[in-house]
Amino acid sequence: MSNTTQSKRNRTIGLAVVGIVFSMVALAYASVPLYRIFCQVTGYGGTPQITESGPTTAMSQRKIKVRFNADVNSSLDWKFKPYEHEMEVHLGETALATYSAENDGKETVTGTAIFNVTPLKAAPYFNKVECFCFSEQTLAAGETADMPVSFFVDPEILEDPNTQEVRTITLSYTFYRAKSDS
Amino acid sequence: MSDHTPTGWKRWAYSTNHKDIGSMYIMYAVVMALIGGTMSMMIRLELAEPGLQFLEDLHFYNVLVTGHGLIMIFFVVMPGLIGGFGNWFVPLMIGAPDMAFPRLNNISFWLLIAATVMLILSVFIGGGAGTGWTMYPPLSNSLFHDSASVDYAILALHLAGASSILGAINFITTIVNMRAPGMTFHKMPLFVWSVLVTAFLLVTALPVLAGALTMLLTDRNFGTSFFAPEGGGDPILWQHLFWFFGHPEVYIMILPAFGIISHIISTFSRKPVFGYLGMAYAMVSIGAVGYIVWAHHMYTVGLGVDTRAYFLLATMLIAVPTGIKIFSWIATMWGGSITFETPMLFAIGFIFLFTVGGVTGVVLANAGMDIMMHDTYYVVAHFHYVLSLGAVFSMFAGFYYWIGKMSGRQYPEALGKLHFWVTFIGVNILFFPQHFLGLAGMPRRIPDYPDVYAGWNMVSSIGAAIAGFGTLIFLFVIYRTFTAGEKAAANPWGEGAKTLEWTVSSPPPFHSFSEPPQFDAKPEAAE
Amino acid sequence: MLSKFNWFIFSLVALVGGLPFQAHAQMAHPWQFGFQGAFSPSAEKLHEFHSLLTVIIISITLFVLGLLIYVVLKFNRKANPVPSKTTHHTLLEVVWTAVPVLILVVITIPSLRVLYFLDRVEDADMTVKIVGHQWYWSYEYPDNDDMTFDSYIVDKEDLEEGQPRLLTVDNALVVPAGKNIRLLMASGDVIHSWAVPSLGVKLDAVPGRLNETWVKVNEPGTYYGQCSELCGVNHGFMPITIKALSEDDYAAWLLEAMEEFANNDNDNKPLKIASLQGKASVWEGSNE
Ligand SMILES: [Cu+2]
Repeated sequence: MSNTTQSKRNRTIGLAVVGIVFSMVALAYASVPLYRIFCQVTGYGGTPQITESGPTTAMSQRKIKVRFNADVNSSLDWKFKPYEHEMEVHLGETALATYSAENDGKETVTGTAIFNVTPLKAAPYFNKVECFCFSEQTLAAGETADMPVSFFVDPEILEDPNTQEVRTITLSYTFYRAKSDS
Repeated sequence: MSDHTPTGWKRWAYSTNHKDIGSMYIMYAVVMALIGGTMSMMIRLELAEPGLQFLEDLHFYNVLVTGHGLIMIFFVVMPGLIGGFGNWFVPLMIGAPDMAFPRLNNISFWLLIAATVMLILSVFIGGGAGTGWTMYPPLSNSLFHDSASVDYAILALHLAGASSILGAINFITTIVNMRAPGMTFHKMPLFVWSVLVTAFLLVTALPVLAGALTMLLTDRNFGTSFFAPEGGGDPILWQHLFWFFGHPEVYIMILPAFGIISHIISTFSRKPVFGYLGMAYAMVSIGAVGYIVWAHHMYTVGLGVDTRAYFLLATMLIAVPTGIKIFSWIATMWGGSITFETPMLFAIGFIFLFTVGGVTGVVLANAGMDIMMHDTYYVVAHFHYVLSLGAVFSMFAGFYYWIGKMSGRQYPEALGKLHFWVTFIGVNILFFPQHFLGLAGMPRRIPDYPDVYAGWNMVSSIGAAIAGFGTLIFLFVIYRTFTAGEKAAANPWGEGAKTLEWTVSSPPPFHSFSEPPQFDAKPEAAE
Repeated sequence: MLSKFNWFIFSLVALVGGLPFQAHAQMAHPWQFGFQGAFSPSAEKLHEFHSLLTVIIISITLFVLGLLIYVVLKFNRKANPVPSKTTHHTLLEVVWTAVPVLILVVITIPSLRVLYFLDRVEDADMTVKIVGHQWYWSYEYPDNDDMTFDSYIVDKEDLEEGQPRLLTVDNALVVPAGKNIRLLMASGDVIHSWAVPSLGVKLDAVPGRLNETWVKVNEPGTYYGQCSELCGVNHGFMPITIKALSEDDYAAWLLEAMEEFANNDNDNKPLKIASLQGKASVWEGSNE
């Protein structure tokens, strides 16, 4: 093999490897939306499902307890609480829960609510139909607002061997100051 | 190619010669190891007794822990094993005149120096990064580390990563394209195999780290929110990306060690490597499986139970090729005619210590069990057994094995053996009790601990002192080698040393092979 | 070789012998070799599984060590001047691939069983919400009118007789013994990890998400743990104390506590204070 053919082949291989490097960087960035979609689709990391319409299966006689958790990050001077701590719902029944939020600060602030359900494995069966968390919420100083969420728990939860024993699901929100507002 | 050997500082600064660059990498790794080692000595000093011994600022302890981790991984083990021994011996072993892209090779080395400067800046600007080498946000974001120290640490890793990626491109091209006539892949020495697999891991894993680091950098400085929940991001995503890089990184550090150990065991047993193909493909499969096990570092973050079950099973798989390697080394020694020069002592020490680190790895792989172990000293003991005792022992083994070849002077045998025994005893006293501490529940990364953990911590610190003394012996060995070392023959190890580097003089001429060497089918796989 | 062997025997005795004689400890004790005692169903299961693992890993290590010693004695240059040329033995290679697989199966089956056990919870009798902060924990009792209190480390000078340094807090988490308790984990700032070894619990508190696990404390007593994820400068100084009381004592405590902590602001703003203060102290100290 002469020297020139060798250095030509070297360059080809080198460039091919450079290609691998760049595609791996691209993959790292692609993983950001992919991870989000993956969580939404599979309920991974406790991400509840979002449905436009109500439950597709018939309401079951079995009941399940849903608890409500509320947190506020230190970036917001808000009070944020559920009206009820917990409620019992039938599987497949669409229920409505309401939180109340109050801006204790001196200025108008926009908040955004991050949410998940526990146990994490119950997330694929927890469906939100409407939720205040789907959009950012703006409160003027001293303003109080009701924030509703409607949801249902899919009766399929009883079919999954991992989730059969689940009798209580906790729905959790954490209000952060919206990125757009800081 | 006619030329003379460049001399003076230009020979080094502008060097495109794989042997000179390899030498620089090795010297660099030794210097950085002394710095990283000093940091660990400070850590052990702080932990010698309950209460605070010398620290006035607790943040500095976190900086020490972070710095020790980053330095040892990115600035000692990787440059030493890959940049140092890889550069020196991959071209020699495959009979190539040099690396495929000699000038790129030079750039790789100097990028690493630039990275080092960044790392040092990160310590001195704003008090340093106290994030741990894993740099989990939100702790590493601008709210909790608001000075530029983390930015500099990120840039340091970017540069070190770029350096390693360029080096890996060079290795892959060299190995794929520049082997001597007759050296098929299945006749390649195992060290070359190990560097090839490592290089593939580098070019696939490091870009993911680079991407994640860039996201962290823009999160910190430009208002993006890849890892900030308030902007729709998720701090757990960082952990997924980091460990998708981080687990292959572990194999990046240990695979070249496997390669070196194979050669040394074979040389001093005076037998070809047992099960050559199994050994090569065990490394390939360890590299491949390394990509699908990352979340076993994240068992406690709140992963679904099925996910943990999957990662448990995948992680268990790694034990199989690792077992093949251990047993093949022993089988190589079986029936051999073994002598126990210093490199062989370190290699045998490696096999035993790596086994200890390996079996605790099997314990940690169990997602349920990990609840007891995660973030305790059990984990610290585990990864120091495989890295500090595994990878580092292989570096010592490689140093003693090849120093005659590299410098033309042989090391003093008695001192080398003394170095081995002191180090071996020291590191075991240092790290073995950390298993007990971990089982008893002592968390890692804390500068002070409940009084009940005092006993084993004291023992551990004594071990550190002994190992530190071992390092002094090593420095003395280097000194004696260069001032009073005997002239090394082309092959000081005799019949067992069969790879091509032993066919050239010690040290090899500036251009090792002006003609491609005749590779006459005497590979390890042949018989 | 001898020193290596002695060392190993020593550690073998240490690991195995260590397990029984600390069975009733509620925290670690000096020179301990193994786990702290097990005081919850989870911890009991984990201990049992770990005993199996210990036997397996020690046997493997001793086996490898034995082979190494045998090879060193038998195949050194004096004993065996002419090396063999063997480089293959198919049966042997199959065996050392297959046997580890079998061992892994032996480990994996109970491992998965434990894993899925830890994940299941029959319905909980009560809920406690745990929030990690730089650098303290706060505990909320959503079932009891959202009673909330913070739990800070007690300084060395203020310790009473018998209180362990670095593990004692001003307000311990108090729970009834023998009840299933749902633990919800949240964080106000960075990632923390709530861990109590003797109860077999460790779970990260991650900002922006709620995590859930459960615990049942077998008997009344005091149990200790520490934050187990690096969370900043005082990471080593946010311990966990959990007191399990009999049902009656718990009821009595609850009455008192609801009074004592009634004035605590439980309006979800515990997430501020320390993070900023801590940061200032961080930089002050190390800059100069
Ligand atoms: Cu913490």
